[in-house]
Amino acid sequence: MVLGLQRLTEQDIEASGHPCLDVARGEELVHVQRDVAIVLGDRLPESPGTLYISSRRVMWLSDINRGKGYAVDFFSISLHAVSRDPEAYPSPCIYLQIEADAFEDDESECSDTEFAEDSDLSRVTEMRLVPSDSNQLNTLFDIFCQCAELNPEPEGDDESGWFFGDPGLPDDGDQNEWQLSEELANPIGYANGNHDLAHSVLQLQIDDQRFEDAEEMEDHPHHEPN
Amino acid sequence: MLFFSYFKELVGKEVTVELKNDLAIRGILHSVDQYLNIKLENTRVVDQDKYPHMLSVRNCFIRGSVVRYVQLPPDGVDIDILHDATRREARGG
Repeated sequence: MVLGLQRLTEQDIEASGHPCLDVARGEELVHVQRDVAIVLGDRLPESPGTLYISSRRVMWLSDINRGKGYAVDFFSISLHAVSRDPEAYPSPCIYLQIEADAFEDDESECSDTEFAEDSDLSRVTEMRLVPSDSNQLNTLFDIFCQCAELNPEPEGDDESGWFFGDPGLPDDGDQNEWQLSEELANPIGYANGNHDLAHSVLQLQIDDQRFEDAEEMEDHPHHEPN
Repeated sequence: MLFFSYFKELVGKEVTVELKNDLAIRGILHSVDQYLNIKLENTRVVDQDKYPHMLSVRNCFIRGSVVRYVQLPPDGVDIDILHDATRREARGG
């Protein structure tokens, strides 16, 4: 999976003018919106183009400069929102935050302008999509929501695991037994010396892979002990 | 799964979602899904100086994987139910 904003070029565009989709991996076109300007970070808006939303990516192609465009995977979109306040931006728009690659390439030498621009692209963390018809904003927002939900984190994310607020929690490698045997005398909310359960809950990390299987618990509301 | 059920109970309450990029957004929890994607309404950014662009945003969708913490209203925590649920999760998980 590729983080951040990508450049689309002529070879990413079909003869029909639509962007090439990765059909083999199940990518489908969900929505096309004409007359949309794009604003990358603090740059000036780019001339109207067409927005393509697929089941995996958001793509924008310029109507004027054929072969010019951008794409960002839903994996990389941290947040999206409808922005209507003219003080923040003059035109109502869809606002996106993009999770970019770590800025580790600061020192790299990019003599080629194209490469330098691509390097800049990978640092774009904010993007606005400005449809000429602002009545479409809510529809677009809903489509973004639906497509984001089609793209959960891939399996194998190694950030799983419980996290309590107190880093002094002993890691004895035998936590199941610990939880069961200590349970009555030492309820889990108090187990690490933190006497405020609400506070403990605040500190729990919620991106745990184990929380992704919605069906399992519903099928077995009463778990048998293992 | 426990947290999906848990957060569903908080719909309609005010929460503060802190993202891994340090942006913290306060708002009314509109909905949550099984991936802990979160929709907020009536949002406001906690540190407005740092993220002026977010000022205009009144509702937003936050990808579950970028959430670091969710701060809950104190009265939104039913400690007895949560105790029970976490014990069951610990046994069955």
